[in-house]
Amino acid sequence: MRYLTTILITLAAITLTGCMEWDYGREESFSNSANGLFITNEGNFQYGNASLSFYDPATRKVENEVFYRSNAMKLGDVAQSMVIRNGIGWVVVNNSHVVFAIDIDTYKEVGRITGLTSPRYIHFVSDEKAYITQLWDNRIFIINPRTYQITGHIECPSMEMESGSTEQMVQWGRYLYVSCWSYQNRILKIDTTTDQIVDELEVGIQPSSLVLDRNGKLWTLTDGGKVGTPYGHEAPTLCRIDAETFTLECRLRFAEDDEPSELQLSGAGDRLYWLNEDVWSMSVDSNRLPVRPLIEQRETLYYGLTVDPASGDVYVADAIDYQQQGKIYRYSASGEEIDEFYVGIIPGAFCWK
Amino acid sequence: MNSRARNFLLLVAMLLPLFAWGQSEPPRTIPIREVTVYGRRPMKDIGTVQTRMDSSVLKENVSLSIADVLTFNSSLFVKNYGRATLSTVSFRGTSPSHTQVVWNGMRINNPMMGMTDFSMIPSYFIDDASLLHGTSSVSDVGGGLGGSVRLSTKPASAEGFGLQYVQGVGSFQTFDEFLRLTYGNDHWQLSTRAVYSSSPNEYKYRNHDKKENIYDTDHNIIGQYYPTERNRSGSFKDLHILQEAYYNTGRGDRFGLNAWYINSNRELQMLTTDYSDATEMDNRQREHTFRGVLSWDHLRSRWKIAAKAGYINTWMAYDYKRDPGNGIMTTMTRSRSYVNTLYGQADGELYAGRWLFTASVSAHQHFVRSEDKNIILQQGDRAVVGYDKGRIELSTSLSAKWRPSDRIGFSAVLREELYGRDWTPLIPALFFDGVISERGNIIAKASFSRNFRYPSLNDLYFLPGGNPDLRRESGWTYDAGVQFAVGRDGAYSLSGSATWFDSYVKDWIMWLPTTKGFFSPRNVKDVHSYGVELKADFAAALTEEWHLGAGGTFSWTPSINEGEPMSAADQSVGKQLPYTPEISASLTGELSWRTWSLLYKWSHYSERYTMSSNDLSLSGNLPPYYMSNITLSKQISLRWADLSLKGSVNNLFDEEYLSVLSRPMPGINYEIFIGITPKW
Repeated sequence: MRYLTTILITLAAITLTGCMEWDYGREESFSNSANGLFITNEGNFQYGNASLSFYDPATRKVENEVFYRSNAMKLGDVAQSMVIRNGIGWVVVNNSHVVFAIDIDTYKEVGRITGLTSPRYIHFVSDEKAYITQLWDNRIFIINPRTYQITGHIECPSMEMESGSTEQMVQWGRYLYVSCWSYQNRILKIDTTTDQIVDELEVGIQPSSLVLDRNGKLWTLTDGGKVGTPYGHEAPTLCRIDAETFTLECRLRFAEDDEPSELQLSGAGDRLYWLNEDVWSMSVDSNRLPVRPLIEQRETLYYGLTVDPASGDVYVADAIDYQQQGKIYRYSASGEEIDEFYVGIIPGAFCWK
Repeated sequence: MNSRARNFLLLVAMLLPLFAWGQSEPPRTIPIREVTVYGRRPMKDIGTVQTRMDSSVLKENVSLSIADVLTFNSSLFVKNYGRATLSTVSFRGTSPSHTQVVWNGMRINNPMMGMTDFSMIPSYFIDDASLLHGTSSVSDVGGGLGGSVRLSTKPASAEGFGLQYVQGVGSFQTFDEFLRLTYGNDHWQLSTRAVYSSSPNEYKYRNHDKKENIYDTDHNIIGQYYPTERNRSGSFKDLHILQEAYYNTGRGDRFGLNAWYINSNRELQMLTTDYSDATEMDNRQREHTFRGVLSWDHLRSRWKIAAKAGYINTWMAYDYKRDPGNGIMTTMTRSRSYVNTLYGQADGELYAGRWLFTASVSAHQHFVRSEDKNIILQQGDRAVVGYDKGRIELSTSLSAKWRPSDRIGFSAVLREELYGRDWTPLIPALFFDGVISERGNIIAKASFSRNFRYPSLNDLYFLPGGNPDLRRESGWTYDAGVQFAVGRDGAYSLSGSATWFDSYVKDWIMWLPTTKGFFSPRNVKDVHSYGVELKADFAAALTEEWHLGAGGTFSWTPSINEGEPMSAADQSVGKQLPYTPEISASLTGELSWRTWSLLYKWSHYSERYTMSSNDLSLSGNLPPYYMSNITLSKQISLRWADLSLKGSVNNLFDEEYLSVLSRPMPGINYEIFIGITPKW
């Protein structure tokens, strides 16, 4: 009978209480002035578990979830990209419709931009002007980073909200070049003094990455679209565009079923890097695609790529099964592995400090 | 006054009228659970593991969906994306698409996604609900790698005209209305049911996922706090109408018509990490669905044949609009899907001494048109991204059930299925049961089966991302267990069961991101699930006026990824699947005195990992939670009508909890119900 009473009391104690335990509210202090690499981990779409990691190449130490730990709040849903300007890191969180500004040493929030549709990338024209590209919107937002306010927008021609997509940006003099990616095929040219689109250039189906080399040439990767969509499908290409004349100089075609992505540039602006299962590299002066990769893939598909602008080390992100901490592999410029470390879910983009 | 004190006073205020009504009523008693001991073992159920939902559970209150019922009355995992939003059900650590759902014989899993939204099935529309765990589902349907849910309606047993009306009013301006009209005579049973539920659903919650900033005049942050927010963009208006007509010739033939219409208009709630202004966007899902089944049963003493024909038409719209700043909502996503399904089934049963033979053939022909996005083509024309596909799904089964003595039974089922042009390998299932002790009605059970699930139409054809090269998922399941039932008719009953299971699923399909920016399904995992399911029910007539009923379920379900690692870095092998609790449990207790009844419900899910590697990160972790609901009800019998009054308190202890990351759930909330059944 005593046992029965004990069981009943225990049952009552369990069932008549509620005790979900939450761990929140603790802010951690950071003060990290070292140079290094920020990794934005997208997290799973619609689950709000994006995170920010920081890696110090000198000490080979990684700190994960630094945004959460420093601010005691989540980074949000799908951390898309990050840039640094004047000691402030700007983290674009796509499906949270926000851009966070953080102190890059303490990771503390110093401000935020809201009112965005579906932000993808941010580009600074000056201390008081930046552009933010969008997915499913035909507008590029103009913001004032000092006040974190949206000050205007640029409406893209021949583009509607539903299928609108502007993506990566690079600047050559007063002109900004913008790749138009999803269900698009163009690079736009914007005069940053007037915020007007002054030209556009068709380059192939779905240009995503965009970089500017030391010769004043724009390079973009077109992914060729998806078989079966009415927009069409073609072999992916690597395109070189002269920024001055805004003309297509060469189009290097990949195989039909290749999936090149993540075009990156070395610190000196003289070598291109990209993913196509393996890691590939070629000189910006080359006129044909390489036949051998720089680094061969490791069983799973690589998802992100960056090159240390100082050392030339290559960092490759492996999202593994997209539901666990991804892993970053660090290689020397010649392709020798130096280090590897785990970060957050789906490491997609990098930002050098 | 603090919130708990205010909540208590509110509760008391809600329940006071019940006491007032009770003063003048003559004493009557209301049955809660039948105090009956079953020793009978139908041949059809030889060796099967079933959980049957009591009608008192299904008709507890009008605001409940089947998802709510299963949460508190089964060991299944109900993954709830919010109040009145998508709710999926999983058996034994499998995925929602591994749960097959059958309504009056017709499979109602969405052929595009493969799963069923249980929040869209009002419990008042279901008269009989059974869960067939693991192997047991093969007797009914193929593809249930986890199990199947059998839902059906039944004739109302009305004599003449009848009417029942229930009105519910609850927190967050929630209104639930239920009307049922019935007519019956010796041959005909007619019933019309309608449920309408609506709410702005703006419950308050403390958002711990984000902070509001306090700025100085130079726009420096000088303070931060977790905001108390309202659930944004979560309103719903759901209408369900069910028309039934049954005709019984009285000479062994029964005809039935079931027609169910759904008109749902639901906003999709914003994530806790969304910084949008809810007034500047509209994120909405609408659905119009018609499901109809015609049935004929021809019964003879030793054999039975039956035929069914059905049709499903579904129109689903998903619209995401934003105000670009000019005050006009502009479409960002306009997705439409049209599903037409034709259904036919023929069944036969033959009893021959200690044998029962059954045969069944069913066909579901799906026609699906999915329009996901309107785009401008390179040439400037317009086009729609989507697919237009059809698929025939044929399922045939033969079974032989043999009870050589009263103590033991064997059953063998062979099922074969066709998906498009692809026949599955033969699906065998074997069942055994045997009486260990007649005194305690202790019965041992064992079964095993093979099973397959084909990719859904979105898995194969969705643009962009559909993968026509997907392989079907395949599985083996083994079950063994014991059950008992003891008691004394009219005094008490106690029954229980314990089942051990072991199941393997190969080529598990998951949608994963691609380097091209969209998601695509792949066969990625091999999963081993095993564990124990316990169930117990107790009912007692303490005195003539006092009745006690209780029920409980417990499930321990390790569901382990045993596939090949995707790379040396893969930490998921040997780990519990994400969003799958290892332990789930539920308890209900009901005490009635005369016409009063007090019901207490409790459910628990253990911690759910959000990563396949089972790491507990700060930004992705779902702690365990315990949920408690309580209902006090009173039946009043007047000369002209029977009245019922109920007051319910949900989330009694005002827990802050999540079922899915970033989806806020409501705290303590209340609803009262008034039901009237006139006496003509």
